[in-house]
Amino acid sequence: MKTTPLHQWHLDAGANMADFGGYDMPLWYDTGVKNEHLAVLTSAGIFDTSHMACVTVEGPDAFSLLNFCFTRDLTPLAVGRCVYGAFLNEKGHCLDDAIVYKFSGTSFMVCVNAGMGGAISDHLNKHKKDRDVTITDLTDRIAKMDIQGIDSVRILSKLIQSPDTVFGKMPYFSFKGHFDPNHPEAGASKLKNGTPVLLSRSGYTGEFGFEIFIAPNAIVDLWKQVLAAGESFGITACGLGARDSLRAGAGLPLSHQDIGHFKFMNHPWDFALPYNSDKSGFTKDFLGAAALVPEKNDVYVFPFVGDSLRKVAAGENTGVFDENEQQIGHVLTCATDMGITWHEGKIVSINTPDLPDNIKIKGIACGFVMVSKHLEPGTKLMLKEGKRAISVTIVTDIRPDRTARKKITHFI
Amino acid sequence: MKDINELNLPEDVKYTKDHEWAKADGDTVTIGINDYAQDQLGEIVFVEMPAVGDSFSAEDEFGSVESVKAVSEMYMPISGEIVAINEDLEDAPENVNEDCYQSGWIIKVKPSDLSEMDALMDKAAYLEMLKG
Repeated sequence: MKTTPLHQWHLDAGANMADFGGYDMPLWYDTGVKNEHLAVLTSAGIFDTSHMACVTVEGPDAFSLLNFCFTRDLTPLAVGRCVYGAFLNEKGHCLDDAIVYKFSGTSFMVCVNAGMGGAISDHLNKHKKDRDVTITDLTDRIAKMDIQGIDSVRILSKLIQSPDTVFGKMPYFSFKGHFDPNHPEAGASKLKNGTPVLLSRSGYTGEFGFEIFIAPNAIVDLWKQVLAAGESFGITACGLGARDSLRAGAGLPLSHQDIGHFKFMNHPWDFALPYNSDKSGFTKDFLGAAALVPEKNDVYVFPFVGDSLRKVAAGENTGVFDENEQQIGHVLTCATDMGITWHEGKIVSINTPDLPDNIKIKGIACGFVMVSKHLEPGTKLMLKEGKRAISVTIVTDIRPDRTARKKITHFI
Repeated sequence: MKDINELNLPEDVKYTKDHEWAKADGDTVTIGINDYAQDQLGEIVFVEMPAVGDSFSAEDEFGSVESVKAVSEMYMPISGEIVAINEDLEDAPENVNEDCYQSGWIIKVKPSDLSEMDALMDKAAYLEMLKG
């Protein structure tokens, strides 16, 4: 199994390890999933995401290739900004979701999931035809960590050169700097010890924070620096367990589980498709678009929340039943968001303003179901796995009052 | 995750292949999940227990433990009738993580045949099984 540069650190910290995408990764540390999840909502958490892969796409026709292969329209994407979307095949199935970074009109980077660097490189090469573009799979040549949570900018400000300049104007889904010391942008964000980093105001938790790309030989030192700088804030190292529950509560899909070999349509992730303003069509043609026209007997994906923190095991064997006790699908993801609870018929989170003092946040099960018919928000369903059954409600959103989109000035 | 050498596996209880433990005391047997199981599951948030008076055969499913990350069934080490359940776990399921052999016990059973205990593993045999 593959390992990241932080592998020994995880072992030394007593992490519960498991295979994820071919990498031996931490599921949780001694702190436990619950506390790791809550740390991101109330202070900050760091995640080793070095198992994720990066691919650079460069050359005069880089834009043309990416705009054809990626679901989002890159036409309005400015230099220094990045955007979330997906790569589809001709059938409209999702190969992987990704973030595309724009360094210049001819230089882009694509960040994809663990083990997908080769597959996405091959996919881009297959479709490049006579375009003048160079595709480079940087798998294992870049390390990455995410610092997520309301204190993340305060912690990073202790470690970054000229933090006022770096963080002064940094909207959601923008980035600064480069991980390669020879890149012209490398000077734009450096650690105090001179190590260049690519700092991206993004992440997959739904909370305010950053993804940091850095040379593999520098990440262990940075990880330790971040932990030391964040100690007074209560920063916590987080494993994939907390990442899964946070992203589920944020309504974000896990690639190859919530999106994959089923048509990328009729799902809650409309924001990953290039809809025009009135949603009557797309702003561009792209690979897989023709297959996305809705048909009868389509599958639909919806987010749900449970009545309590009890959950079921996700998978093909966990049935989704409607009020007539008819099975209409199965469960893609079922996690417990430990930061939310029901209060007077509504879901509130730890970060909901003016919470009553006596409220006890116990957590609620949440996730995604794949079903054979359209369901309105508020629809009640039963999820059944063996003898276990839980009652859930279809919703449009899960964890309220997420912080990811708030202005950076709010956190400095 | 605990190394095998770090597991708390008392000598005075018996073990099942599904990682429950059972301890006879007079004419009742107390049952729970062992240190290996609680460590693998992570933080337990709910314990689904049977009702007092229910009867089960050995290896029947009698309940489940749900952790933040996973859900796992529990199986009867021996046949018998449930005579008590650990009601404290309704408010404090974390007791299973904190002390799975004392405050984290799950059920007490009146066995139909106490000699079934002899078929369960002792610590040495259970460790052998874990080492595979």
